[in-house]
Amino acid sequence: MIETCEREKIDLLLIAGDLFHRQPLLRELKEVSYLFGKLTKTQVVLVAGNHDYIKKDSYYRTFHWQKHVHMISADEPQCIELSEISTSVCGFSYHSREIRERLDISQLKKGRQKYEILLLHGGDETHVPFNREDLRRVDYDYVALGHVHKPQTVIDGKAAYSGALEPIDKNDTGKHGFIRGEITDEGCRIRFVPASVRRYIHEKITVTPQFTDQELQERIEACIREQGEQHFYKFILTGFRDPDIMFETVRRFSHGDSLYGHPVFGNEHGWNILEIADRTTPAYDFGQLMKQHKEDILGAFIEELSEYPQESIQYRALCEGVQALMDTRRG
Amino acid sequence: MRIREIWMKNFGRFADRRITVNDGIQLFYGENEAGKSTIHTFLKGMLFGMERKRGRASATDESHLYEPWENPNYYAGVLRFEAGGKTFCLQRSFEKTGRKAELFCEEDGEEFSVENGDLEMLLDGLTASGYENTISCGQLKVTPDASLGTELRNYATNACAQDKGDIDLGAAFARLKERKKDIERRIKIRLEERQKKQEITEQEASYVWTDIHKYIEEKNRISEELALREMGKQKNKKDSLAYTEEVSKWRIHPMELIVFVLLIISPLFIVSKPWNYLMAIIIFLCCLIYIWNRMKVSKRKEKTESEILLEKIRPEEEKASREKLLWEQNRIEAELKEKQTQYENLKEQLEELDLTDDVIERLQQTREAVTMAYEQLEALSGRLREQTDKLLNGRVSEIVCAFTGGKYERLFVDEDTRIYLITEDRKIRIEQVSRGTAEQIYLALRIAAAEFLYEEEFPLILDDTFGFYDEKRLANTLQWLAENKKQVLIFTCQKREEELLKKMHIPYNKENV
Repeated sequence: MIETCEREKIDLLLIAGDLFHRQPLLRELKEVSYLFGKLTKTQVVLVAGNHDYIKKDSYYRTFHWQKHVHMISADEPQCIELSEISTSVCGFSYHSREIRERLDISQLKKGRQKYEILLLHGGDETHVPFNREDLRRVDYDYVALGHVHKPQTVIDGKAAYSGALEPIDKNDTGKHGFIRGEITDEGCRIRFVPASVRRYIHEKITVTPQFTDQELQERIEACIREQGEQHFYKFILTGFRDPDIMFETVRRFSHGDSLYGHPVFGNEHGWNILEIADRTTPAYDFGQLMKQHKEDILGAFIEELSEYPQESIQYRALCEGVQALMDTRRG
Repeated sequence: MRIREIWMKNFGRFADRRITVNDGIQLFYGENEAGKSTIHTFLKGMLFGMERKRGRASATDESHLYEPWENPNYYAGVLRFEAGGKTFCLQRSFEKTGRKAELFCEEDGEEFSVENGDLEMLLDGLTASGYENTISCGQLKVTPDASLGTELRNYATNACAQDKGDIDLGAAFARLKERKKDIERRIKIRLEERQKKQEITEQEASYVWTDIHKYIEEKNRISEELALREMGKQKNKKDSLAYTEEVSKWRIHPMELIVFVLLIISPLFIVSKPWNYLMAIIIFLCCLIYIWNRMKVSKRKEKTESEILLEKIRPEEEKASREKLLWEQNRIEAELKEKQTQYENLKEQLEELDLTDDVIERLQQTREAVTMAYEQLEALSGRLREQTDKLLNGRVSEIVCAFTGGKYERLFVDEDTRIYLITEDRKIRIEQVSRGTAEQIYLALRIAAAEFLYEEEFPLILDDTFGFYDEKRLANTLQWLAENKKQVLIFTCQKREEELLKKMHIPYNKENV
């Protein structure tokens, strides 16, 4: 990030809160400050978000940033004037974990510069609630948003969440990076730049009754080879499997077995597989089975539970029960 | 459903044999080896097809056993039957190559497909195993290791669909239990993993906590020292004003000693004898007390080390160490704050660890599903058992009562699925009844099961069923069958059924095989 700023002679680096996941330690602030110190052409403006909110004894209060780093630590909107680049940045910091009051647009301040930017953290109901309409109404050239991990544009060319630089949580799937924008007289142009080293990838594999374990392994391998071995993978198996098949790969991977010293699938290649979730349904034709077994308990069982949707607990109970009954048939 | 015609085109020993079958009692009389079983097999083969095994097993399969004696390449038959008010014609050929089945309605010529299950539909879902278990009735087969009663009881509980056919309910229950255990094991492992993670974080937090306390102690020590130093400095100022000499090594100043000596000596010259000695001694003692006192004071002062240290330190040095202490104090305070922040962060992290885990959630859902399946099956099997009981207590009792001429009034099933027979004055365990009675109960069970399971009434096919019946019971049974069943096919090698039917004036058709 810093290298990019330096290389591309970026004027302004905006950090819309949550630079740290928790209260920053002094040594961590020093590290960041050191990194910022490498910037020779870039101004930095940052606020504190809900994770690194400014506590009573937060280091943010006492830390001395370098001249080109501007922290807006007040909990009321304030402006930083950057006359060299004719820009002013308005923003405020969190002083508590949550801010439930809605964003009050009238409270926002405007600077005296040609270009006005709003630096805003939050957007959900416990973190300064605001909606797209609010953002549309504010009179800024660009609203840099923080809080949501997933990068997303809220209003094209005007407001966007940059998302986390790197995925923070195993559910932060998709690409991560930063937003690179340019404000000129023609307006604001923004573009998301993927920059994360690693990604969490949830890959759905739809199986068919003909699907075999070997095929599953090949699919996983192909997926990892194609997208990159550095990423974290979670494979979700869906669809209808042959009722008699038990995917060895899944079993080998599952938590229970990994603790008993069995080789975990994927380890030998150094792959980062976090989970292989088997959500397949045995490919029973319940209607047909019910007809065939209408005079025995299997038929009655299917009849009892067949009216429920696929994701319901009843449907899964149906699958479990039918599987147990079918697997233990005599002969 | 009723059978209208059996036409064995080429089957076993029969070639182009047509047997018309009417309603009521149909007697198929034949001596041993006459081919009664062949007809029996033909019926089953026509309705459900014949399995042809491969390789060595083929030597014993039915298809092979009943291969036509002559011209085995032509192996076929026709069965005409009536179902739902219409007559159907079913043709099958059992040849090795080109086995086929055709089914059409004789009234309107509509063709049906056997492969697509049309025949099964006409038969109201009757399967080969259902056929074997209900309407086709031989003698009670007794396996060597099971008693008659056990066999009967097994049949009774199985008959009413409890776990008829290939379903093994007990094994299914065991499988579900196993599955639940496996899921629980997984949840446990997952929880343990989480616990481990938590413990690691907790340990880290406890280290930080110890550090915090160490720093607090250190801080207290330094501030105490600083306070002490402050105090010492003030005291020092006072001290230096009062007795500057005291800083010297001498606890008692030499001048004092000289004065003391002079004081002791002076009375010797000034005062006359002998009082001068006394005076000198008194003064000497006084001086001694003074000196001793001084020595004691000094000793007490020696006690605090820091003061000695302080005494040793020169002002410049003192200033430097004070600065060092202040610097140390700042450093520790900063360190303390850092550690406290870190501690707070770790505590937050621990709180977040307690939040739910989607893998566990998923596993718990699966467990719930398995439990639900188990409970559902349990409820269903309970309901079916109830039905069995009802059937046994109701229809079966009725039939048995008729067969035995009212000797046994009722069947009774207790909670442990033990079956009892109730007579006028006794309750008999089913294991204790005679072979003949057991056979009658068996037949009653089958008839009741067929009625219970299928809406359609099927012909009853009895293959040498009456071997153990006495005259009276056989008469009762035939009477009941004639009155209650639309079509009964009786295969026998004895003449007594016919004689009884004649005697009782029950209409029947006889076919000599």
